[in-house]
Formats: sequence, C-alpha cells, structure tokens
Amino acid sequence: MNRSSNLDTVAPDDKVVEVKIIKSRSPVDPELRQKVYQILGKTKHPLSSFLVRPHVFTFKEKDEEEEILVAMRPHWMTNVGWILIAAAMVLGPTLLKSVALLNGLPVKYQILGGLFWYLVTFAFAFEKFLSWYFDVYIITDERVVDIDFNNLLDKKFSEAKLSMIQDVTSRQIGVAQTMFNYGSVLIQTAAEVNELRFDNIPNPEKVVKVLKLMREEEDIEAIEGRVK
Amino acid sequence: MFGVENVLTITVKVMAVVGTIIYFIFSLVVVKQVTAMSHNVKDKFNGILIVFSYIHLLFSVLLMLLAWMLL
Repeated sequence: MNRSSNLDTVAPDDKVVEVKIIKSRSPVDPELRQKVYQILGKTKHPLSSFLVRPHVFTFKEKDEEEEILVAMRPHWMTNVGWILIAAAMVLGPTLLKSVALLNGLPVKYQILGGLFWYLVTFAFAFEKFLSWYFDVYIITDERVVDIDFNNLLDKKFSEAKLSMIQDVTSRQIGVAQTMFNYGSVLIQTAAEVNELRFDNIPNPEKVVKVLKLMREEEDIEAIEGRVK
Repeated sequence: MFGVENVLTITVKVMAVVGTIIYFIFSLVVVKQVTAMSHNVKDKFNGILIVFSYIHLLFSVLLMLLAWMLL
C-alpha cells in the first residue's frame, strides 16, 4: 500500500500549530547587571548619541534573545563642522547676488545653476548626516558591534564576542573632547577582528566600565557553562 | 551656420545634460544605500530619511528635465 508523505492528507482536519520557542536569557548575576544599568543611566532624547537599552533601535544581525545595552553614535559636536559648511553653502548664492556677480548670466542659467547648487548642498548635508546616523557602535549582552558608514560607497560591519575582549582603553584628546566628554574607546580582542575602535563616542569612561562589568558577567557564565 | 556662439551653446547644453544625468545616477545610489542601511540598522528616523532620499531623487529628475528644456 502506498503511504502519503504529506501528513495533511492523512489527517487534514487537525490544526497545524507552529510552536515557536523563544529562549529568555536572564542575566547570570542580576546585581552585576543592575550595576551596568546604573552606570549607563537613561537616554535623554531620541536623537541622542547614547541610546541606553533602546526600544525602537535594532540591527539586522541581532539575535532574538540578545539585549542591546547601549547603542552609540559619534558625539553631536562632530557634526558642527559640516553644519557650518552647509550653512555657508546655503548662503553662497545670496552673497554672490548681493555683490552682483551672477547678474550677467541669462535667467535660465541662473535658475538651473541655483537649483543645482541647492541640490548639491542638500546632498552634501544629507550624506554627512547619514554618515553620522548609520555610524553605530553597539554593546549587547553578548558582543560589541561596530557598523561603519563612512560614505555612500563604503560600509563595514565588525563584531567581537564579549568573552573575546582582552583589553579596553579610552582616550580623550583636546579641548572639545574634554569639555563635551567624548572620545575614543579601543577594544583589543582575541577574535578574527583583533581591534575595534569606537571613535568620538560620548561617555567613553562609562563604556570602559560597562565593558569591564560585562566581561566579568561573561566569566561567571563561562564558569557556570552558560556561554553559547 | 556653426558660429562660435552656437558651438558654445551646444557644448554647455551637452555638459549640463551629462552632468545632470550623472547627478541622477548619484541620487539613485543615495536611495539604494539609505534603503539598504535602513534594513541593517533600524531606528525611529529611518522612514524620514528614505522619504528625503526619494525627494532628492525627484529633484534630480526635475533638474535633468530642466537642463534639457531650458538650455
């Protein structure tokens, strides 16, 4: 007798129920995790460069049970330079008109030139904003992630497990970094990517402390045999 | 028939049209990249950025048409 391989034809009335198992990962040491949360504090506004335990923010490679502790972007001070340049570019044609430099050109050239100039200005500002917005450094309870968007044709994703981190160094150079409390964090790892660099991030010292505590948590997990 | 002024006008028109076509390709790359990055990193303002990239694309098409018609 021929047997059907399709179970629906054997018992078509039975409901097919998909069982989705979601592993919940409770922290191995809740006190240690509370300490991490306390150090990180809270996010001040949605466009902040330091998003603590964000609800909306996520990234493609994130595991379902993975918790984002903090997502960082370069400090807002790093945007001041290009904002000033963009403002000067916006004012450029008006200044040229005021000194009657463009008046000799036919009107159609002025219209087209003006539109082109403002489009280029917009593209410049937009590209700079995108470079800032998509330049993200993430610390989860499992790993550190660096997503770089240097320009429109250069993007990079690198990550390292917390258990692989060997050394963490923070550095703040210059007046602006000291005044506004931002700087670089250099993470040396035993992973394939042997160095991760978080540039111009706010609160670099907090990040170093958090990474130290999270490494302790990973060590405890390793002892208890919970590391994936 | 082919005076210096005529040649100059045609050269300017060809350069403007080619330039705006290159700019149009650039704005297409912007749309593609913003969409791709929004897929990788999800945050509150991704939707607004995608809309802005499409508005930019629309204006680049307008610029291309204007260069063709006006010059």
